[in-house]
Amino acid sequence: MTSRLVYCGKKVLLFFLSVFLLSAVTFYVSRLAPGDPLVSYYGDRVEKMTPAEREWAEEKLGLSDPISVQYVRWLGNALRGDFGISYKYKMDVAEVIGSRAGNTLLLGGVGFVLIFVGSLLLGALCAWFEDRPLDRIICKIGTVSSCIPEFWLSLVLILIFSVTLRWLPSSGAYSTGGSSGVMDRIVHLILPMSVVVLSHLWYYAYLIRNRVLEEVRADYVLLAKSKGLSRRSVLFRHCLRNAIPAYLSLMAISVPHVLGGTYIVEAVFSYPGLGTLSYESARYQDYNLLMLLCVLSGAVVILCSIIAQAVNERIDPRMRSGESIEAPEVTDL
Amino acid sequence: MSELLEVKNLSVSFFTPEGEVQAVRDVSFSLRAGEVLAVVGESGCGKSVLCKSIMKLLPPAARIKSGSIAVNGADITAYRERDMRKLRGRLFSMVFQDPMTSLDPTMTIGAQIAEAVRVHRPEISKPELHTCVVELMALVGIERPEERMKLYPHNFSGGMRQRSVMAAALAGSPSILFADEPTTALDVTIQAQILDLLRDIQQKLGTATVFVTHDLGVVARVADRVAVMYAGKIVETGTAEEIFYDPRHPYTWGLLRALPALSRGRETLYTIPGMPPTLLDPPRGDAFACRNEYALAIDYEEEPPMFRVTDTHYAATWLLDERAPKITPPVGGGTDA
Repeated sequence: MTSRLVYCGKKVLLFFLSVFLLSAVTFYVSRLAPGDPLVSYYGDRVEKMTPAEREWAEEKLGLSDPISVQYVRWLGNALRGDFGISYKYKMDVAEVIGSRAGNTLLLGGVGFVLIFVGSLLLGALCAWFEDRPLDRIICKIGTVSSCIPEFWLSLVLILIFSVTLRWLPSSGAYSTGGSSGVMDRIVHLILPMSVVVLSHLWYYAYLIRNRVLEEVRADYVLLAKSKGLSRRSVLFRHCLRNAIPAYLSLMAISVPHVLGGTYIVEAVFSYPGLGTLSYESARYQDYNLLMLLCVLSGAVVILCSIIAQAVNERIDPRMRSGESIEAPEVTDL
Repeated sequence: MSELLEVKNLSVSFFTPEGEVQAVRDVSFSLRAGEVLAVVGESGCGKSVLCKSIMKLLPPAARIKSGSIAVNGADITAYRERDMRKLRGRLFSMVFQDPMTSLDPTMTIGAQIAEAVRVHRPEISKPELHTCVVELMALVGIERPEERMKLYPHNFSGGMRQRSVMAAALAGSPSILFADEPTTALDVTIQAQILDLLRDIQQKLGTATVFVTHDLGVVARVADRVAVMYAGKIVETGTAEEIFYDPRHPYTWGLLRALPALSRGRETLYTIPGMPPTLLDPPRGDAFACRNEYALAIDYEEEPPMFRVTDTHYAATWLLDERAPKITPPVGGGTDA
């Protein structure tokens, strides 16, 4: 029990340390990058400001101190839950993000689960039919589909389903002024979700296929076969099981990959989510908003890696480094 | 005695982009119940391919070109995967060279043995299965099986893993066990233990064993009969005594002379000159001719047939032809230590 507690403690410590480092680096890099943060706060008025007015404005926004002082102040406030205001929206950044996070979580989260399950099934299917016509056809279609850029695919889908067929809406997360019912949300999600899933699906399915086929050629498969096991149990009980740890850790690390994909898709479909927000905040030096977005997405990524590691350790016992006391090395007697 | 396994004129080729690699060429041998046959030869001579082709565990690029494999009188050459599955584990099973990789790293040892038991007895109850696994582990000399069945392969040493592999291979009580260089990847002290175990099990259960090795020293310890393979062919076959005391093929002479134990007291260890031929394009005549200091002119022209020495002893060398010059073998007979 204590060992488990220590294990969890280590992970939590690792998490906070990583987030801290991430925030420090982001803070410095964003402030060292060229650009004028005052523009996002005061808009065009900045151009007509006198140097004295500029100084006063920088003082007001806390931008005149050295970066390290700014960072310590930011960190102190952040620890108390105050992440400052967005220069552009003149609102608490948490509120700005909160109003959009749900949309991105819905698009990214559901898309992620669909990619995860779909690629596992597709990959296993291809491995089962290795080098037979079905596998070859899927591989060819997959390779072509994964080369299509997301924005182009989005535009083509909009052209087909919104413009020509008029089946689905082309933008937004819900109809303006209309009812915000569940069906309305789903209808708006179909196109962006399809792009998110289609553009990532084959990447991971191909990975699963090749991992499984690599496992099929492993020595333990020969033993399993010579024991008399059927192809099905060899593939599913042994090969897939051995392929999954690598897949899981990749999926967990790929959260930003898929998230990045949703950002592009969000932009094309004018979907009100974090993607468009991140892009804007970086472009207009909206420091506080950028910091919170970075720390949040960073925290998600780090958390996912830690979870992936924990899951791997459950599946592949060799990775359980700290638990060697429970399973001692046994030598010949 | 009835023939348990009878292989006739078996040829196996790998079809690679470079061309056809003739890994096994026209091999015939038989195995009686309860017998240990050692297949000896250097790396790449087709020993492993021979075993795997009998169990049909070859990669897709390999194909049985001709010949027949009969088990208990039934021809299994044309058997499909579905039929082979019923034979594997029960009729024949296999132990592989590297115990580090032949176990699934994500499954406990007990589960992997249990799996092999359950394939052939799907109706077995949980407690029965448990006892069965414990018995198998005890059979292969794993002490405290109850607690060790819950461990993973990475908790085991090489010798223990090879014992576990053997337990899994023996789970279906097969009549034939193919042991494909089972001791090569182990260190010397463990090798001896595993060999003793193999012989023990063979005597206890009466499992006929095909023992593949490149180590003649190991052969003397376990084998009843020996088949010497070179470049995909069996060049000499006989009982262990005949091969060790009265070898006839120059290649066997070379192998025996290269044994450290037999060259004790001499300054250098004998080696067979040259390299084995590529099986992509085997040479005309006797494949061993160009490395053979006793080669005759005909060796380069025509392949030697199997000459009978005794009823159990055959060798494929023109030296046994009655017209060939008489040569005193450099090993065996008088020189045996």
